[in-house]
Amino acid sequence: MEQNREALLEVKGLKQYFKISRKFSVKAVDGVSFKIYPGETYGLVGESGSGKSTIGRSVIRLHEITDGEITFKEKDVSGKMDKETQKMLRTKMQMIFQDPMASLNPRKNVMDIIAQGLDIHGEAGSSSERSERVLQILERVGLSREFAGRFPSQFSGGQRQRIGIARALIMNPDLIIADEAISALDVSIQAQIVNLMKEIQEETNVAYLFIAHDLSMVRYISDRIGVLHLGHMIETGTTEEIFSNPVHPYTQSLLSAIPYPNPMIEKKRTALSYDYATSGLDYSEGSLQNVGGTHEVLGTEEEIANWLSENRMEDIVGIK
Amino acid sequence: MTKEKILEVRDLAITFKTSAGSVRAVRGVDLDLFKGETLAIVGESGSGKSVTTKAIMGILSNNGTIESGTILYTYEDKSEKVTKNLLDLSKKQMRKTINGKHIAMIFQDPMTSLDPTMSVGNQIIEGMRTHYNTKKKEAQEKAIELLRLVGITDPEARMKNYPHQLSGGMRQRIVIAIALACDPDVLICDEPTTALDVTIQAKILELIHDIQVKTGISVIYITHDLGVVAKVADYVNVMYAGKIVEKATVNEIFYEPKHPYTWGLLLAMPDLETNPDKLVSIPGNPPNMAHEMEGDPFYPRNPYALHIDKKKEPPLIKVSETHAAATWLLSEKGPEYSLPIELQQRIERMREEDRVYGTE
Repeated sequence: MEQNREALLEVKGLKQYFKISRKFSVKAVDGVSFKIYPGETYGLVGESGSGKSTIGRSVIRLHEITDGEITFKEKDVSGKMDKETQKMLRTKMQMIFQDPMASLNPRKNVMDIIAQGLDIHGEAGSSSERSERVLQILERVGLSREFAGRFPSQFSGGQRQRIGIARALIMNPDLIIADEAISALDVSIQAQIVNLMKEIQEETNVAYLFIAHDLSMVRYISDRIGVLHLGHMIETGTTEEIFSNPVHPYTQSLLSAIPYPNPMIEKKRTALSYDYATSGLDYSEGSLQNVGGTHEVLGTEEEIANWLSENRMEDIVGIK
Repeated sequence: MTKEKILEVRDLAITFKTSAGSVRAVRGVDLDLFKGETLAIVGESGSGKSVTTKAIMGILSNNGTIESGTILYTYEDKSEKVTKNLLDLSKKQMRKTINGKHIAMIFQDPMTSLDPTMSVGNQIIEGMRTHYNTKKKEAQEKAIELLRLVGITDPEARMKNYPHQLSGGMRQRIVIAIALACDPDVLICDEPTTALDVTIQAKILELIHDIQVKTGISVIYITHDLGVVAKVADYVNVMYAGKIVEKATVNEIFYEPKHPYTWGLLLAMPDLETNPDKLVSIPGNPPNMAHEMEGDPFYPRNPYALHIDKKKEPPLIKVSETHAAATWLLSEKGPEYSLPIELQQRIERMREEDRVYGTE
């Protein structure tokens, strides 16, 4: 069924290199492919330096990509775009940033921040229409109408992140890239924001590319997950597939590192460790191979057969 | 077995003078830390958890004043027990006798807590040289020993490295080595793993635990992550708006939480089986401590609030020898109440897991 649906976003063989000097460049993303379908949440996880934020930024064209193909709403958005495609990309794909303190202009009031997209693309209409749309969105994200005249410094972190969401929502996007959108917030506020994002998804059928390192939240919000390490997609599949049957040793170590919210069990566990340098693996050798359902793992046939033969679920839980 | 009390904080109150008026960051906090045990202080940003430990270290910023309270610290000096009120000491005396030598601290961001112009080895040695006049050679040997203890391979070579040459996890290990250099009795860890990746976080927490087993030091953790608490803590103090609202052993916090705020914190963290439709979140935002508050500061966010919460702040009410919570729900005249259904289910699941894994 998955295959029959039309993908909203398709990324094929994305490469993003950053040139450091004439001889040396950092391969932040090295041939990553994935698809996002309308109305679903795709979680990208991995440690810092794995390239997860870079992918988000490349997809929305904040970086000029080195190689690969990005298709959004059946239009190629990876190369030079015509005006219409560019406008479509700029309105239908939006982004929420990690740091709500740094991503809002401190000299603009909330009304102008949220309406900026409308202003730029000439969709604001009359000034009363413009303010009505902003006020509606404000209420939608759980902020009071009176806040429209205030400035970002007058808000708490959670409220600012709501403003960031409002700014993304006003363009009626089809895809929102949330780059560590909740990492900077307090635990109790994280749950509020995640709930809000889910509600909005139910109402508007917007898709999310949810980039995070907190696996328990990713597990909770995502329909499908991609695990990144050192610029390579290591393993991808539905949330269920990844969490109930992680195959790649890196994914396994990542899952076993999540603290388990039960003190009786957590006190007796030790996390699995994984070190690429000593693991004997070479990511560029293998290829993504299907291991059942939509579950794909990066490796050579031999490696994957090996991993599949041993069931390490007990080690991941960490208690014998 | 009687436990040795190392640190006893009573009725600590701290106010900051800011341009927006005075902020009562800590309003009467009591803490007890016993030898060899781990105390976790949990709370949101602005709850006063960092400020409390900064007061213990004597490193409050200049606009902060300690309104009241005592911090009694007991240590062995030439095999004699000495108890001192740390608040009576001047900053200079603190530096000389307590900081580093007896109480050491690890901060959140390993990059900003290391000196970029000094080699890692010299930074570890520095404390030993100033506090104990250790000979350079001896100190160097001990530093290598410490690096080995914190799990750094090839310590001799690493001694000459500078912080920028190391990864985040390595840097945090160095910070831990520096903190341990003078054999402190108490280690305060202020969100030691928030800036690190999950995989490294697990390793660092396991490391601190190993060291604790080996050296018998007491540890205070400041964190907002209950998963971390489950992993490391013996005792837990939950702080809200400058006060401790619940104190208990770690098992009591997870299996029999009494304060509605603790319930909220537990539910805000998804576990393996959380109903995928909705997380139960704590509504509203943390209070602004610059405003005078009447009644319980948690009142506006508390679905279990009673009329009395509006007028009078609840005191800590004892439930057992080790467990107390500041909520009127526990008072004799308190109403009948039951835990949120999601929480009941979660505790049931935890008990089930314990049966399955035999960890009861």
